[in-house]
Amino acid sequence: MPLDTMSDESDEVLLVLFANGDALAARALTARLTPRVMGHAYRLLGNHAEAEDVTQEAMLRLWKVAPDWRQGEAKVTTWLYRVVANLCADLRRRARGVALDSIPEPEDGRATAAETLQDTARAEALQSALDHLPDRQRQAVVLRHIEGLANPEIAEIMEITTEAVESLTARGKRALTAALSGRQEELGYGDE
Amino acid sequence: MAMSDKDDIPGLEVFFDAARRHGAEPSAALMARIGEDAQAVQALAQRPAPQPTRRSTLSSQLYRLLGGWPAVAGLATAAVAGVWLGISLPEGLLLDEGESVYLVDVAPELAFDLAGGNF
Repeated sequence: MPLDTMSDESDEVLLVLFANGDALAARALTARLTPRVMGHAYRLLGNHAEAEDVTQEAMLRLWKVAPDWRQGEAKVTTWLYRVVANLCADLRRRARGVALDSIPEPEDGRATAAETLQDTARAEALQSALDHLPDRQRQAVVLRHIEGLANPEIAEIMEITTEAVESLTARGKRALTAALSGRQEELGYGDE
Repeated sequence: MAMSDKDDIPGLEVFFDAARRHGAEPSAALMARIGEDAQAVQALAQRPAPQPTRRSTLSSQLYRLLGGWPAVAGLATAAVAGVWLGISLPEGLLLDEGESVYLVDVAPELAFDLAGGNF
């Protein structure tokens, strides 16, 4: 089966093909899932190098679980988001013990750059604010408002109720608003 | 596409939009490493499972030499029967209490002489 025709196949079908030794399925899954995993890991960690390590480990676990994948139970992406969250939590837990002061401060100099850079500055400011949220709030806010998942799927990923998801995202957003409110003028917060 | 909540806080959405546009992209090197991992896992899965190795001991060689379990079972039966015959008392040859007759003819020429009464 050519690679481009595999774009129509579901993640689950590709994973079964992968388990049967299909090299094209491996390439298709890598191309499709790695950017999502990497993006999510970066938003949870705020560190590019660590996000790459987590991404490689999460994908390796996916390859290894492929032969035992139980079809029709969980979505591949749901499983991956959960693995990424666990790996990131482990990493942050270890880092918290040794390098509390090493969390980078918001890069104010870049945020005050020209208007064309305002978008980037906003993304960086949000990332800095996210980095200071409790792990579960950060995960819920990222899944809901950046990854765009529905509350029931987030609840499945985080293994909590949808009400708990709503509570976490609400508290997370209040904290983000408080963190970003001091930079309203600089970032054009509330302009749009 | 991001979801919106009823309690969305005005202004935050521009930050979420910016974050979606400026996500971290995986490097080519990372993509290559992940592809290599996939190939390695597939190669491992396709390799035939190793056969269990059986150590060849002296007893196993003897077992095969004798002809396997039927022959060994026959030998064992014969050995047990031999031991039983060896230790069991030949009750059929007892005449009276404590008296027994030994039929082993260890000197047939002597018996002949006795019969003749010629000492």
